[in-house]
Amino acid sequence: MVNLIKKEIALCLHPTAFIFLSFAALVFVPNYPYEVIFFFSCLSVFFCCMMARENGDIAFSCALPVKKEHVPLAKMLVVIGLQCAILLLVGAMGAIKGAVLPAEQYVNQAGISANLALVGNGAVLLGVFNLIFFPRYFKAPEKIGVPFVIGAVAVFLLISVFIVLRWATPLYSITLNGLNSENTGAKIAAFAISVAVYVVLSAVSCKLSMNNFQKIDV
Amino acid sequence: MNALEVRNLTKVYPDFTLDKVSFCVPRGHIVGLIGRNGAGKSTTIKGILRLIAAEGNIDVFGKDIFKDELTVKQMIGYVGGGFRYYPMNTLSAIRKAYAPFYPTWDQGKYEKFLAQFGLSEKKKVKELSEGMKVKFALALALSHGAKLLIMDEPTSGLDPLSREEFCDIILQLVREEGVSVLFSTHITSDLMRIADDIVYISQGSILAACPLEALLGKYRLAHFPSLAEATAANAIGVKSVKDGYEGLLTRDMQISEDTVITDATIDNIIVHLEKANEEKRYG
Repeated sequence: MVNLIKKEIALCLHPTAFIFLSFAALVFVPNYPYEVIFFFSCLSVFFCCMMARENGDIAFSCALPVKKEHVPLAKMLVVIGLQCAILLLVGAMGAIKGAVLPAEQYVNQAGISANLALVGNGAVLLGVFNLIFFPRYFKAPEKIGVPFVIGAVAVFLLISVFIVLRWATPLYSITLNGLNSENTGAKIAAFAISVAVYVVLSAVSCKLSMNNFQKIDV
Repeated sequence: MNALEVRNLTKVYPDFTLDKVSFCVPRGHIVGLIGRNGAGKSTTIKGILRLIAAEGNIDVFGKDIFKDELTVKQMIGYVGGGFRYYPMNTLSAIRKAYAPFYPTWDQGKYEKFLAQFGLSEKKKVKELSEGMKVKFALALALSHGAKLLIMDEPTSGLDPLSREEFCDIILQLVREEGVSVLFSTHITSDLMRIADDIVYISQGSILAACPLEALLGKYRLAHFPSLAEATAANAIGVKSVKDGYEGLLTRDMQISEDTVITDATIDNIIVHLEKANEEKRYG
């Protein structure tokens, strides 16, 4: 498995996988729906899958001395690593923003502030994307477009829901909004629940992807 | 113990069925897998390597690939024609990702093959000719001490000199290291040069799996002046040629004195058996 992951990193990662990590800095843009940052992470997955297809990577990997079901698992573990990196970076950038900018500039008029709850929202978005995209992709790895479009539509719908919640519910507009130093307990709880959702959705996605991949012809 | 045992390998596609294919590769033997385009050679090889979801039993040196996939695949060197992967990457980057999968990887041997094949690791895959891609695939497959080589048309795209070189390397591996080989090919001169056994597949079914000499010894090529004579002699797969008709006769078939008989080549055997098969199928 370690060798497969190393091979993924060496041969299968599209440059956007790293470039889009830098988009975590978008939390410094005033009044921006910061959840969109996580969509770029999904977009980089699409580019990596395109690159894998053009490189004949799936056929190459399956001929290696590995279990067939480990091929999708390794790809997903690399993606999960990248998703954890973007979640971490957004959290760190949000914390820096909170520390260096005045409190009034920290308030986001286009969505939730760049705090722990935003990272939680991102985790849920990425978990949902994983659950929708990967099982479909590993059913027919040469057809990347349809799974990605379905995943992207779901992600943008969920982003819309988060924005509506920001304005429609006190929980999102007051309790989970603003600096991490305000209502810290609630924000940590929201973050923890979201991470748990991400873990469950990604684990289910891995299992379904591995099962689907076993049945395909390379 | 055989190097490879394939039993009842079956794969059903909407328009093609690989039908209970069974054969074996004896240890230290070179087995040629032959058949026309679309006969099921590549499907058989992909089924053996679990690249497709096929039914049946595959044992490599007594180990079931479905139970010990990792161990079994480490014993196999696979060359799927030319190297069609990662065109934008250098050979060096690919080797660095590939070698760690094989604990028995021999870097010295790999470098020797690169030198012998005239390959530079600094080159990208897309910069290689088709022949060079095959050589790179061979260098990777031969450098991890594989006990069984499985190759899907490894010599297609190679010039005659490189094919000769390939045959020499395979013979050397078999003689000195006891490697067993299964390779599919259309180039029957390569089979004549190195194969011990033949597995002949047609329309997804095995028509013959026997030593090469036995297959060649089984048939003779008969030339007839007329179709009536060919039919009367019960010749197999009769077809019109420039100066009459040709068909295969088995050694035990009776022939008239004026029938011209020559030894059948593999090409003759394939052509006439395929013709007979088509006649049987389409009437």
